[in-house]
Amino acid sequence: MTRKYAFFPGCVLNAAAREAREATEAVAARLGIELVEIPGWSCCGASQVQDIERETALAVNARNLALAEKMGLDVLTACSTCALMLRTARQELLAGRKDDINKALATAGLEYKGTADVTHILWLLADTAPEWAPLVKKPLGKVKVASFYGCHTVRPPKVMDHESHLNPQSMETIITACGATPVLIPERLKCCGFHAVFPAEPTALRLTANTADDAKKNGADCVLTPCPLCQMQLDMYQTDAQAAVGKGGDTPVLHLTQLVGLALGIEREKLGLSRHIISTDALLAKC
Amino acid sequence: MRTITFDIDRFDGTRSWTQSYAFEYDPTLTVLGSLIRIKEQQDPSLNFTASCRCAICGSCAVRVNGNAVLACDTRLDTVLKQWGADTLHISPIGNFKVISDLVVDWGDKIERLRSAKPGLKAKKEFSADSGCQQSPADFAKIQKQWDCILCGSCASECNKLTDNDRDFLEPFVYTHANRYAQDSRSADGMVHVKEMVKQGLWKCLHCMECVTKCPKQIAPAADIAAMRAMAFAAGNTDGKGPRHAEAFRTDLENTGRLNEVRLVPRTEGLIDAATGRMGFTYRMLKHGKLGALEAAELYLTDNKPIEGIDGLRKIIRYERDGK
Repeated sequence: MTRKYAFFPGCVLNAAAREAREATEAVAARLGIELVEIPGWSCCGASQVQDIERETALAVNARNLALAEKMGLDVLTACSTCALMLRTARQELLAGRKDDINKALATAGLEYKGTADVTHILWLLADTAPEWAPLVKKPLGKVKVASFYGCHTVRPPKVMDHESHLNPQSMETIITACGATPVLIPERLKCCGFHAVFPAEPTALRLTANTADDAKKNGADCVLTPCPLCQMQLDMYQTDAQAAVGKGGDTPVLHLTQLVGLALGIEREKLGLSRHIISTDALLAKC
Repeated sequence: MRTITFDIDRFDGTRSWTQSYAFEYDPTLTVLGSLIRIKEQQDPSLNFTASCRCAICGSCAVRVNGNAVLACDTRLDTVLKQWGADTLHISPIGNFKVISDLVVDWGDKIERLRSAKPGLKAKKEFSADSGCQQSPADFAKIQKQWDCILCGSCASECNKLTDNDRDFLEPFVYTHANRYAQDSRSADGMVHVKEMVKQGLWKCLHCMECVTKCPKQIAPAADIAAMRAMAFAAGNTDGKGPRHAEAFRTDLENTGRLNEVRLVPRTEGLIDAATGRMGFTYRMLKHGKLGALEAAELYLTDNKPIEGIDGLRKIIRYERDGK
């Protein structure tokens, strides 16, 4: 399949979740998806700037979208919060804010026209699964995978409207296409706590421990998420969560494209699997 | 004949069980209509609350397969299609004490609502003689919040509330506080905001369940954000929540992107971050999430500004100051 997108990596794919970028780019290259990084993209605000300067966040994301429009491409991101922030901005702009915000963009010589859509790598991979499933070289037949969608992947459904927010299936479609077995856990559509890990740390750690523990109790070899922020929370804080709550602690948490990359037979070194806090060794032994 | 089954959670004050009720499919039914049909034709002992049947009184919220809906405003066909099954699990809304079957206790919730100081304390220029007028534009700013019918749906799946309701309030409480805080007739909107800051305003997880579940399309998460902005603009910038948001805001303006290495000390304070996050930092470095030299460089010198940073700054300043 040949597809081309304006790639919006988002801040964490450039730093602490660098392995997600490596895996996304490796999978895209293998599947013939061309990702052209948006020159000069900025932070989407991550719902934090939106909380204290809503108009600034809207204008900044209008700039991100305008930059993509100059490339004549739709936007693709591999972060659910980035996707929500960009899609929310797009919806507000098209619902009557475009002319107003364009006055701000004009100060930088930019204009938002409203042509570029914003999609998530999850949705692209799920929709095209029948196309790439035949390219799977190493079916993950021994691997049981618990999907964890992440709040901003499916909510609010008026913005994240690609599939049912109550009963989504995109992750399971991809897991199945990889030859692995989906495991449905009660925490599948819950929050990981990432966005309040500092002001509400005890809650965030309990949510993290619950998900890690649920996956293990239900026989999953790993948790799989399409959101790098969820991955960071569930992986980086799982040790602290185990210490605080007394459960979880050894459940590997993979980025979506890492699992797809393994199934496609991409070299493990290109998928950044050694950069996880919770060891992926036992999982990889089954792949 | 197509048969629909409701597996309903029952509670008689001491004993809990799930009871199945099968009834003939009828495309004209709502979820509430189905419950009424079961009560009238099968089991008069089944308890639930309902009154107006037209999404005004807010008394009939229940969970269908674990997700809150307003029963009178939800067609049976809609939920059958959503779940792709003819058997549905009906239970009382979450994060409420259950009194009987699908009936929940609002007593404690109303007491918690009082903490928002609901009620308008008008500006001095208003009086009984001159009235308390408001422009259509100002009314529009709070019109949506006044649609709240106190059905409890926003609280049912709130992830923060489910984990711990001792340091966080039901989302509708924040909506009620904000409708007075943003009201152009209020003498001091911050009265409501200050109370909400004390009651967990910065602990919202952004899980978006409240926005998703409100049958009146209100966005309590946006009300929380609006009051955070008010608090911040009024100088209430201390605390992990405000400092975290401020770090994002200043990084955006300085370089265009987040500096993850500086984020923790800026949020928690350098000493707390250095002492409280030693284990975390060690694990990050050990597993290669960040290189030690790279982390040091990022902390000392910051990210390189993005291409077009001058334009980004102009846009930000226009929005903040220039309009």
